[in-house]
Amino acid sequence: MKLDELASAPLSGPSIASQTEAEAISSRRNLLGSIVRYILYALLIFIFIVPFLWMLFGSLRNEAEIFAYLYPFSWKTIFPIEWTLESYLDIFGISQEGMNAGLNFQRFLLNSFLVSAAVVLSSLVFNTMAAYFFARLKFPFKNVLLLFVIATMLVPFQATIVPLYIVVSALHMNNSFAGLVFPWYASPFVIFALMQFMQDIPFDLDEAAIIDGASYFQILRKIIVPLSMTGIITMALLEFQFVWNLFYWPLIVINNPKLQMIQVAIATQTTQTQTFWGRTFAGSVVASLPVIILFLALQKYYVQGVAVTGMKG
Amino acid sequence: MANAAVASVSSPGLWPRIWNSKNRGYFVAFLFVLPALINFFIFRYLPILAALRASFWQYSLLGGYGNFNGFTHYVNMWNDPLFWKSMTVTVLFAVMKVPLQVMLSLILAVFLAREDRLTGIVRGVVFIPVVTSVVVVSILWSMMYHSQLGLINSFLSLFGIPPQTFLTNPNRALPAVTAMMIWKEVGFSMIILMAGLKGIPVIYREAAIVDGATPLQIFFRITLPLLKRVIMFVVVTQTIFSFQVFVPIYTMTRGGPLDSTKVIVYYIYQYGFRFQDMGYASAMSIVTLLLLLIISAIQMRVFRSDVEY
Repeated sequence: MKLDELASAPLSGPSIASQTEAEAISSRRNLLGSIVRYILYALLIFIFIVPFLWMLFGSLRNEAEIFAYLYPFSWKTIFPIEWTLESYLDIFGISQEGMNAGLNFQRFLLNSFLVSAAVVLSSLVFNTMAAYFFARLKFPFKNVLLLFVIATMLVPFQATIVPLYIVVSALHMNNSFAGLVFPWYASPFVIFALMQFMQDIPFDLDEAAIIDGASYFQILRKIIVPLSMTGIITMALLEFQFVWNLFYWPLIVINNPKLQMIQVAIATQTTQTQTFWGRTFAGSVVASLPVIILFLALQKYYVQGVAVTGMKG
Repeated sequence: MANAAVASVSSPGLWPRIWNSKNRGYFVAFLFVLPALINFFIFRYLPILAALRASFWQYSLLGGYGNFNGFTHYVNMWNDPLFWKSMTVTVLFAVMKVPLQVMLSLILAVFLAREDRLTGIVRGVVFIPVVTSVVVVSILWSMMYHSQLGLINSFLSLFGIPPQTFLTNPNRALPAVTAMMIWKEVGFSMIILMAGLKGIPVIYREAAIVDGATPLQIFFRITLPLLKRVIMFVVVTQTIFSFQVFVPIYTMTRGGPLDSTKVIVYYIYQYGFRFQDMGYASAMSIVTLLLLLIISAIQMRVFRSDVEY
């Protein structure tokens, strides 16, 4: 008997006598079941994807056309009739209108990329080191230190933004890249998650390396990091998403518009004075594309990361 | 080198005794965790101490510290109808969002647990709003909610429903924001619950099937009790997230109409950065922090799981 037959055997139930009748009923049930299933799938895809399609296609059509086909609701409501890149030329300040409005989205994208890169790199170094310490090194009162780290998970981030701002401005880091990067170079969630990945590595490896005269740093670099690469990539992804999507913190810590990050820029620049829906759509597409592409390409890591940390990124 | 060796053999001084190889190892090990500890001290603990201090003083961003205030900020908070209003709005948001989102994500987790290609795609689609920023989602939905030009009213017209107001209507603004946030985050809790589902050994379900249990019985008698701990985790974290909602309020309603969406974090923001009263904002932050700690402690206790597997 094959393994899958064995597994499905209990499903066909105790009705051995009327085998064929039962099979007919169950296959009809299966058919009905899969029809219902596909209808629900279509519904889910509609609910979760149509808003994004409206945004994407809205950024690729004329301002007037976005509103022209709203009633009655049809494919034209979402799908462009005439395609144009006008909104993108506007937000990047390439078209005359965009230049007149002073739009310069490449600047905000660059800022976001720089801040994200700095946070992801530094946090990978420092969180990996800390996770290595907690998972594998000997130290007196290590549990007390671990408690010190884990307790910070209980500090609600958005609710303590004002206090964080008080400290950061006292350190004269407000309105600077330092203020955007420094608070995030270590994360209790990442340390905790990386510890889980590192605990599974056999300790014999470390001991053998120590006998060979390797330092802690060499062990970390040559043994631990390569063996916990999955965890490290996962955490880098979540960190990137976290920083790229930051809004509240850059909103208050940055006053100089030239240093602003993309999420704040789309909220303030496209919606403040006069609303241009096409530009807002285009800005939103540009601000979301990096994270969505990364997610689609590395879906497996994302899902695993969320499952391990319970962290939103 | 030689000197040190001689010294430690003949008359071990204090320094060589402390600086032995074991302690040297500890010192090097400590260097690995030090940067992270410094970060947590400065950016996670110090702010709370700073806020605690600021909450007892007159303090503004421009003017710095003024007079010692004692408990004035806390007393004012107690007498501030808008503080209570914003607390009520926040609780209302959490009470609407958390149970509904957990139920929906549980249904989705069970429904989308299959391992075929199509189901994987649907899972991915449900997860896309999770990776998109709250700002983008909020801007997009405020356009969708627009009373004349919004996609939702356009869609509702298919069923003969006349244009509705959402974000400009004091009775509907908070539910509208809640619905959007559930849409955005249901995929997130779905993934966590799905990981929990995978952790339940298949034997239990198979044994129940052999005993003739219906799928509903299996769900309520086996899956749900065994998933209790994961569900608790989702409820606790989602409650804490919900109490801190800010970005959709800032982008969609600015607390309006008629303060119907003024959540506590938005109120704190207004006091700290609009009205320049950091002292009062700090006092409210401290109260919110304490409240969240109490809520999570209570929830942990209520939901404590007795089932081990």
